[in-house]
Amino acid sequence: MKIISLQKQLGDFSLKIDNLEFEIGAVHGLIGPNGSGKSTLAKIIVGTTEPDFGKINLAPLSQNDITMTSQKPYLLHDTVYNNLIYPLKIRKIKPDESEINSLLDKCGMLDKKKQYARSLSSGEQQKLSFIRAMIFKPKLIIIDETLSNLDPDSVELFENIILDKQKNDPITWISISHQLVHISKICDKIHFLSDGQNIQSGTINDVLLNPSNEIVKKYMSSTEISFNMYNSNKKEKQ
Amino acid sequence: MSFFESIFSDFFNSAGVVDSIRVTIVMSFFSTMISSILGIFLGLFLERFNFKGKKIIIRFNRTLMCAPPVVIGLLAYMLLRGKGPLGFLVWVFTIKGMIFAQVIIITPIICGMVYSYAIRTAPAVRNFGKTMGASKRQIDILILKELRNEIYFSILTGFGRSISEVGAVFLIGGNIKNNTRTMTTAISTLKNAGEFKDGIYLGIILLVMAFIAQSLADYFIKEDTYNENY
Repeated sequence: MKIISLQKQLGDFSLKIDNLEFEIGAVHGLIGPNGSGKSTLAKIIVGTTEPDFGKINLAPLSQNDITMTSQKPYLLHDTVYNNLIYPLKIRKIKPDESEINSLLDKCGMLDKKKQYARSLSSGEQQKLSFIRAMIFKPKLIIIDETLSNLDPDSVELFENIILDKQKNDPITWISISHQLVHISKICDKIHFLSDGQNIQSGTINDVLLNPSNEIVKKYMSSTEISFNMYNSNKKEKQ
Repeated sequence: MSFFESIFSDFFNSAGVVDSIRVTIVMSFFSTMISSILGIFLGLFLERFNFKGKKIIIRFNRTLMCAPPVVIGLLAYMLLRGKGPLGFLVWVFTIKGMIFAQVIIITPIICGMVYSYAIRTAPAVRNFGKTMGASKRQIDILILKELRNEIYFSILTGFGRSISEVGAVFLIGGNIKNNTRTMTTAISTLKNAGEFKDGIYLGIILLVMAFIAQSLADYFIKEDTYNENY
């Protein structure tokens, strides 16, 4: 999947991506400061925003293979169960009740199956939106800060769901997050956006540990304390 | 016969009362039904499409939302009278003519309300539908479903306006006893004749009808907001 010469103007902000490639079947991390264009790029990829110029070559994927969950997901005025099966319903796929129950159980929401979805806590709403995105087996899932309101155990649960999925039936993921620990746990490749431009792409080692770009270095130095703590703990465990 | 039974027996046996209730219900039902179809469609259309002159149409609709019914009644009368452009319909002093005037009054209200709700909700529903891979038709159906409570509320507000209207139905219907006299125009006539008792009874029935309509409207709106954690 390739983005070439993409441009989008939103007020004073301008997104300008000259060349950005997303390897199919990998987990990509899209990071960068607030207002750097991460969510705008995600919306263009998923098709909810039209670019002013340029386009995305989705091949070998199609628009129907792509879905997205966001920090403030839209939940239907309906029950948890009906929210969950909506993507299946529009595809006329009969819901696999045991799979639905298992996903809800994993998230600790099995007893809330018949509850009005909008009455869930914000963390539960994010969990629901995450499993709803997975239920129809898309080939690319964009998670835009979806795990931001979750407690550490829940974040770990979803990280493990992603990692398990990649082991058994890999798909492409684009995770937008400021939590570098989370990004470094799950991502194969990282893309750093700043001021609407992709200024560095590479592995965790290239971008997070040995950044070559000055802006990335500065960004990393402001977040290095927590990230270094994570890395040192990881080494100790190993 | 008890006191209350005798009062209600007198009331319902008095000439024109039952007819005025019948005319009110028929007129309100049909005018609300037609206005709902037009108003919901126009409200959603205005939200969905951008075109030249859209802002003017919205402003004109908002003007009509607060236009005095008697002015609309006069306009409808000018259109429907024998020499008017729609005179061939021969709807002056008929229930059809009253429904016509009411449709002009209520449609902008329903359209304006549906439009206001839709511009707040529909873009998010549309984006959600796209991310889920829904087709345009499936997204349109989803928008209607997601706005169902607001649409009920708009319809009930239109119905409330319809049953309580006097000016336009007076002008177009002519307040003809047993024919085009509604409960509101009957109250006005009874008051002029000094017959307050029947007027009060009709007023109570109207109030009960309006109360039921508004209670239903409140129920639909509160059902969501009470349970939301957004």
